[in-house]
Amino acid sequence: MSLWAAQMWLGLSVAVIGISMHRTGPAFRRHPFGAPVALLGLAVMLFRIEEPPQPESGVVTAAIGAAMWLLPALAGSALVLRGAPLYWKTRPAPLLAGWTLIAVAWYQYYSVMSLVPLDALRWVSTLLGVLLSLTVFMLCVRTAERTTPQEPETERLSEKERKYVESVLRRHLEVADEP
Amino acid sequence: MNPEFESAISAFAGSAALISLFVILAMIGTLNPYHRPAIPVLGATAVILASAYLFAHTAGIAADSVALRLTMSEGVLALIDILPLVFLVSTYLFLRASLRKRPEDPLLVLLDSE
Repeated sequence: MSLWAAQMWLGLSVAVIGISMHRTGPAFRRHPFGAPVALLGLAVMLFRIEEPPQPESGVVTAAIGAAMWLLPALAGSALVLRGAPLYWKTRPAPLLAGWTLIAVAWYQYYSVMSLVPLDALRWVSTLLGVLLSLTVFMLCVRTAERTTPQEPETERLSEKERKYVESVLRRHLEVADEP
Repeated sequence: MNPEFESAISAFAGSAALISLFVILAMIGTLNPYHRPAIPVLGATAVILASAYLFAHTAGIAADSVALRLTMSEGVLALIDILPLVFLVSTYLFLRASLRKRPEDPLLVLLDSE
């Protein structure tokens, strides 16, 4: 495998590790290194001095082509999630900006898409492949959990711990803390 | 072999191998002292190797590192192909989320009742 092919796979791996890191921790305080590691991975994957060999160059070309509609789609999705009444009250500005970007993403996709009937067969096959992989993973996790010895039941929270948990919940659900 | 069938098998093997690779990478990214990653990593590795073998057998090439790279590349292309479907479902879910009214939080009700 050439150096440039290895760089592409290394970049993809680092990006996926970064995204996974970002998902750890509570929703209000994600892992601080997740996003930088993911961006570093994308940079390693996409910026190179020489053209990588096949099949990696095909992958990079397809990824750059998809980015034309995927970037506005991701930005729009993030803005809609911030603006929609999921965790907070409705915030019209990000909601409107998000839907505009989603519309742009669909327009971009519509302007470059070229679907043929064979695509449907590939989609079904892809979904079956994803399903197989996730099913094997779930079965492995279940096996690992079954073979792990059970720990004794944890003790009840003390009064101090209970007050702390209550204060965290109140703070992050946007309710003023009790004095 | 029929080219349509070959393309479908390539997409199946590629997506299975790539998602298994993502599973292994996700376990690396979220490693913590409570993890028991050995069995899931073995399972994911078995799926990757089996998928690469299936791809090599279908394409009529040797089951080596080139076949593994081709399988993974096919997986990336297959996943990029289904991203519009994922985006379509997401758009519908975003539409529902944007139009709904925020429900009263059951946790706050629980805290207030104490």
